[in-house]
Amino acid sequence: MSSFDIEFAAVTDIGKIREKNEDNVLISSDLGLGVVADGMGGHSAGEIASSIAVSVLAETIRKVNNHQLKIPDNFLPKLEPAERKLLMAANLANAAIYSTAQSSDVYRMMGTTLTGVLFDKDSVTAVHVGDSRLYLFRDNKLVQITTDHSLAMEHVRRGLLTRAEADHSKIQNVLTRAMGIKKNIEFDLLKFPVKAGDILLLCSDGLYKGLSENDMAEILRTNAQTPIVKLCKQLVRISNDHDGQDNISAVLIKILPAQKLSFTQRVKRFFVKK
Amino acid sequence: MNENLSLVGQEISGCEILNKVAAGGMGAVYKARHKALNRIVCVKILSPALANDKKAVELFLTEARAIAELDHPNIVNVYNVGKEKGYYFIVMSFIEGQTLSALLKRKKILPIGLVLDLFEGVLLGLQAAHEKGIIHRDIKPSNILITPQGQPKLVDFGIAKKVDKEKGSTKTTELAGTAYFIAPEQALGRDIDTRADLYSVGASLYYVLTGQFPYNGKNTIDIIQKHINNPVPDPAKIRSDMPGWLSLAVQKLMSKNPDDRFQTAKETYLYFKKMRAEDQLRIKMGNSGPAIDLGEEGPLKIVKEENLPTESIKKQRAQQAPVRKQQTTASSRMPLMPQLDAVPDAAPSAPRPPQGPQEPVKMMTADEVKPVNVFQPSKKTHSFNLRKKVAEPVGNSIRLVTNLLVFVPLFMVFAGVVSFVFYTLGKICSVHVVSHAGLLYNLVAPFFASPYAPNQLLAMGVAAVALVFVFASSSVKAFSHSTSLLLFIAFISYMAGLFTPQVPFMQLSHMGSYIFTPEYYLCYLVFAAVWAIGLCWRMNRTAAQGILGAALVALMMVLSYLSAHLTMPPDPASVFAKVLFYVSIFCAVLGIYYLASRKTKDKILLPFVMMMAGVVCIWAYSVSGLVGNLDTTLGTLSRKVVVRTTESVESNEKMEKLVGLDSRRNAFSTLDKTNELTMLSSEEAFNVLKGRIAQGAPGVFNEETLPLFTYLLLNYYRGGETKMKMSVWDYAITFPIKNFNQNAQHNNAYFFLLTILFVFGTITCAGTIFFNEEL
Repeated sequence: MSSFDIEFAAVTDIGKIREKNEDNVLISSDLGLGVVADGMGGHSAGEIASSIAVSVLAETIRKVNNHQLKIPDNFLPKLEPAERKLLMAANLANAAIYSTAQSSDVYRMMGTTLTGVLFDKDSVTAVHVGDSRLYLFRDNKLVQITTDHSLAMEHVRRGLLTRAEADHSKIQNVLTRAMGIKKNIEFDLLKFPVKAGDILLLCSDGLYKGLSENDMAEILRTNAQTPIVKLCKQLVRISNDHDGQDNISAVLIKILPAQKLSFTQRVKRFFVKK
Repeated sequence: MNENLSLVGQEISGCEILNKVAAGGMGAVYKARHKALNRIVCVKILSPALANDKKAVELFLTEARAIAELDHPNIVNVYNVGKEKGYYFIVMSFIEGQTLSALLKRKKILPIGLVLDLFEGVLLGLQAAHEKGIIHRDIKPSNILITPQGQPKLVDFGIAKKVDKEKGSTKTTELAGTAYFIAPEQALGRDIDTRADLYSVGASLYYVLTGQFPYNGKNTIDIIQKHINNPVPDPAKIRSDMPGWLSLAVQKLMSKNPDDRFQTAKETYLYFKKMRAEDQLRIKMGNSGPAIDLGEEGPLKIVKEENLPTESIKKQRAQQAPVRKQQTTASSRMPLMPQLDAVPDAAPSAPRPPQGPQEPVKMMTADEVKPVNVFQPSKKTHSFNLRKKVAEPVGNSIRLVTNLLVFVPLFMVFAGVVSFVFYTLGKICSVHVVSHAGLLYNLVAPFFASPYAPNQLLAMGVAAVALVFVFASSSVKAFSHSTSLLLFIAFISYMAGLFTPQVPFMQLSHMGSYIFTPEYYLCYLVFAAVWAIGLCWRMNRTAAQGILGAALVALMMVLSYLSAHLTMPPDPASVFAKVLFYVSIFCAVLGIYYLASRKTKDKILLPFVMMMAGVVCIWAYSVSGLVGNLDTTLGTLSRKVVVRTTESVESNEKMEKLVGLDSRRNAFSTLDKTNELTMLSSEEAFNVLKGRIAQGAPGVFNEETLPLFTYLLLNYYRGGETKMKMSVWDYAITFPIKNFNQNAQHNNAYFFLLTILFVFGTITCAGTIFFNEEL
């Protein structure tokens, strides 16, 4: 667990035109975990893939924490415990989706993105695959931490497209990596320290398609005192108003200083329902 | 679930499915027998996963029909298309031959003449499709079938691929087209036209001629990006027997910019024909061998590229890429890379700084971090806030006061009604309390013994309705935090009604005079103890919280010392200031802890603790009452039963008036040690004492209570005060229900708890209204 006080909020919305919500979000203050998964493929399989992803991830971490499950000693022994835990959970989730996908024609080709963060002391470990994103809002600036695994973004990285072009590209939806497509996939694993006042934003592509990063930063800047649940709803609502072509999911995680709230704030916190 | 497997043997559109030939993400291909024509056909079934997508199905059918219209010898024939048994299908001619890629794998090297023959056929078929406006999108050797007669046939027109692409925002991991043969504009996600197919023809030609892919890479992305960015390779470098015009034609087809390619399949076909004719002529004239001949068209520039680092090649060859409409000439030096920091006229061979994937922050281009935006909007919101500052507080405070005025009294009335209902129910149920039965029986039995109390059913119904209201009230935001408190109020009211039938409900108002009496030390003790334990259990507690927990434990010890003297009856004249001091410290510590709790489990803990505390307090109070009664009895009996009045007792009575209760007890205990009862056996002593009590204090005890008090007193005389107390606790633990009403006349513990809950509930309700913006 973390030495900070951490508030979690998550919202997912079906959007304006989709018939179903293939996104799945999960937050757990017990585990210090926040996850966004955006499913794809098949006529009913997208949401299955994303729900397997989040549930297996959370369940594995819970079991490891409770010593019901042991990480094999030869599993990337050089990494730190939190990284190993998260990576193993992600690998198990991928295996679970892949085997489900292979079990039936209906599920074939299903897959999902996954972006998750796990808090551990003063730092955050993030696991990422696909085109969901993790942003860090610090000192009034919003910075994208993860790199999209989409063909458009690969082109941007190589300098073949500009960010602006990529944002409107047809191949934005072509993922270069996703869970459930292959038996073994490569995850991005990131670790970075956080400090009080930081806000982490995990979102599916639906959110950033309807809401530019500047607008996101602006909303976070001007609503510093708003409860994050409200803020999270606001982000999703605005994105939906602008675009709404896709399912929209957002997880907001606010890192608060431990023990440094004013008395009135604590009184307020007690009474205001989370 | 495996629907496609079950298709084998079935009949679709008059074709009997024989076996599966191939399967892909978009569907499966079956070999089938057309029954009416008695010939082998090929049936392609759209994947059931896509069959629910109306747009996908529409495109599937439209394009399949367009191909059916083509009827070209170099394109596979489509006989039928439609939907049957829930499957979308296309019936095509079955070609016995092999694909070009299979042929290549077998033969390793194909004669150039054969390759050109095949590709001329491919180009003709492609031309026919292009005239109909159909783009294949996935030209590659494995999509070119060669019949046993050596005729090439194009298959797998981008039916499903187009579906995939047109679905727009649907995520996929598959790009339409195959990485090794994909056109740059297709790989970049731009709008493509028929010329994209020509690029793929060029790439396929390269592969078939040389046996190598034009670009290789460590993964698909790498290959795709090389198509976009890397210089066009020269096939003649790998295969030396290739005529120069062919090498140049392949490179021309593979130009990054569609404008630099042959513009139509027909143009390509005609060029091939023409150049082959010239070759034939040259051979006839004896001028054989590969010859570099740019011809009249001379469209290609040859660039030296060997041994250059990839990055610089990328930059150098960027000009070839189909980026700009205006500057397509070779003299253009504008780099393709959309690097924001790139200098437009940088030397083309200068290696640009590596932009590796390890630097995600670099993705934040200058567009996203305009410093101007930081200040501009904040000014706006500031002025907006100023207006807010004037207008909003007034409206807000009016709303707040209104809410407080409406909801808080409402809550108080509601809580009062709930407690009255449950008190009444408890009172009715108390008729059925059996003094000799156990606790569980007495708690449960009243609900089933309705014949004795006709209105019990009614009371239970009303109570049930009240419970429903309590739960419903949680949806009112002002009450949302008070639901659990209301439930405990209901529970405690029921207990109060059940065990204090003598006290009317409104005697609640008298409880103020009792709350500082020593009995309530026990209540405080239980509260403090459970909270302290709860605090110690907290994970990751800070030093401050640790100190708080230690303070609570210390307080608990002080209170337990005080409550060790259980024998004092309720006495309003007790040391008021002392008790007030402890209680206020206790409440302050409690309040700080309460507000400092951050986690849900702490907030769940509090109501749970209150519940437990209620139960334990009631039990402890009943014991305390028992001892209180015993104490009074002792005072009486000490004079009338056991010892005769002596001088010392008289002097002690005087002292007692001066000093207090304790001195009397001390004096009394010194007498005990020598009294006659200690000499007798237990049974004899019991009988003697029983007789003396009945004699000395007639009418004080009934048949039920006399043996008990005899037993307790006997312990007192034979073992002193400590032994008596132990026997009281022992007794109380063994028979918890039996003497619950011993203390009934003074039993305000329930009401004390009720008042605490009532006040807590009201504060919570007011606080919720006060701090919640979204009421």
